[in-house]
Amino acid sequence: MKKRHRILPNILLIAAPLICIFITLFVGRYTIDPQTVLQTLLYKFGLISGNGLTNEDMAVVWQLRLPRAVLGAAVGASLAASGAAFQGVFRNPLVNAGILGVSNGAGFGAALAILLFSSLAYTYSFAFIFGALAVFLSYMIGRIYNTTPTVMLILGGVIVSAFFSALISIIKYVADPYNQLPAIVFWLMGSLASVGQQQFFALIPMGIGLMIIYSVRWRINVLSMGDKEATALGVNVSRNKLLVITGATMATAGAVCVSGVIGWVGLVIPHIGRMLVGNNNRLLIPVSISLGACFVVLMDMIARNLTGSEIPLGILTSLIGAPFFVYLLKKTKGGGW
Amino acid sequence: MTELIAIKNISFSYENKEVFSNLNLSLESGEICCLIGSNGCGKTTLLDCILGIHQVKGGEIFVENKNIKDYPRHNLAKKISYVPQIHEITFPYKVLQAVVMGRAAYINFYSAPGKEDEDIAMDCLKKVGMDHLADKPYTQISGGEMQLVMLARALAQNTNIIIMDEPTAHLDLKNELLFLETVADLVNHHKVSVIIATHMPNHSFYFENKGLNVTLAMMSDGNIQAKGRPKDILTENNVRKLYKIDARLLEYTLEDGSELKQIVPLSTKF
Repeated sequence: MKKRHRILPNILLIAAPLICIFITLFVGRYTIDPQTVLQTLLYKFGLISGNGLTNEDMAVVWQLRLPRAVLGAAVGASLAASGAAFQGVFRNPLVNAGILGVSNGAGFGAALAILLFSSLAYTYSFAFIFGALAVFLSYMIGRIYNTTPTVMLILGGVIVSAFFSALISIIKYVADPYNQLPAIVFWLMGSLASVGQQQFFALIPMGIGLMIIYSVRWRINVLSMGDKEATALGVNVSRNKLLVITGATMATAGAVCVSGVIGWVGLVIPHIGRMLVGNNNRLLIPVSISLGACFVVLMDMIARNLTGSEIPLGILTSLIGAPFFVYLLKKTKGGGW
Repeated sequence: MTELIAIKNISFSYENKEVFSNLNLSLESGEICCLIGSNGCGKTTLLDCILGIHQVKGGEIFVENKNIKDYPRHNLAKKISYVPQIHEITFPYKVLQAVVMGRAAYINFYSAPGKEDEDIAMDCLKKVGMDHLADKPYTQISGGEMQLVMLARALAQNTNIIIMDEPTAHLDLKNELLFLETVADLVNHHKVSVIIATHMPNHSFYFENKGLNVTLAMMSDGNIQAKGRPKDILTENNVRKLYKIDARLLEYTLEDGSELKQIVPLSTKF
């Protein structure tokens, strides 16, 4: 009986993000009729000849919409899975993927790169490096007592976040207000506007991070019992925590360096997942990955189509995600909290 | 009788504050050791040392004739399990999911519990009489039920030794009794040995009346001051020394002819 229950949901989990990505290929400001989009897909796979297809059609589908949707899905999956993992490890349902300072660290890295260089490549790598550095600093602060108690880690994250937030303000203050400042502000709002195949490198840390989180997902349940009980249950708490934090940091830093700071996904998607499948991380992590991917891909589709110029994605995820979350809360009555 | 735990001359201190030194204690197979002492005397710290959560600063702890330091984390968890005073709930896991976590030490690092582990967890819930709650979120059960669920989780670890830290401190009269009955039954029928820290000296009388192999250990001033059968050492005089209170030992013969003993606290001024 159990088996019958499992196969269909598993297919759905994998299919849903793919379907969302597929749908977004057909929607955009540059009008291409659906038939042509299908033709570009089939042509690329060598199934039909390219008669009647223009270079523009090919470029829009294959170099703009598809890479953007794929990266959007990876960003959503990474933020949601990291959020769920952090919530479990820190035993706090209110933390998000940025709890250890990765967002502010990455924000500072990006702002610094925008100030110093005008090349996008630097922005991405600086964002990634400083995001990871911020988490490393939080972790070291958490280790002041030789172990890594949860409260110390979160405190470390708060300290490091505040520090980098101040550094971001300094850079905003000294940045050129006509070119650099808007670029910094826009980056901090979070957007997928400028991504393309050249950002595919970020799929590597996101992929590795997601694999780590996915493979130790049941251990996160045990860690959420608290340090002492988890230890008595036979889990090496420090080592397991470090592993989960490493995975979540790689995924989040990879995501943030591509898209900037997209709020809300890492906090709310895991909770939507909990309302659907409960708190067992064994199910919750894959569901968060799938939901996060769908959510960001669809939000990004709306972001680039709703108005003449793009709405930053980070604004939209909060604007739509927040009321939707309230609706779900009301509908499921919270689910055992 | 084989010795499950042998604690030899151990010392522990936080920073510069010594908690205990040159402390000796042992646990035999089938034995239940009641550890009593005033708040802050170091009972929990001692239990944490046995659980491997704290490292002793001197001396040695042997678990089944092997130094505790030589056990990898997951192997020690196959020897000793733990029931906390109160379990802090963060996420509303189902009761069965919480009990299955007792299988962590037996499960490969990258995998999750399988059907077999769930069956074991279910069996353990049955042993403590809580199987009807298996599918309930464990946020929605009572404090008494929670302690029995924690006991089931410890059983799922399939250990010879269970360490309990004031497991009945938050329970009402009936649930306290139910918990003690369940523990006595486990020691009697399932070859479990127990070290239980408690604030109720009478618990040791309870276990003794059940015919169990009980040792009472009285802890104060950084050491075990007295150790023996409850009927021999749980006296008015010893209670006065241990807790600095005036107390009386009452004796009563039950309808079935068995002797009942109870320590009753009288006054802090004497």
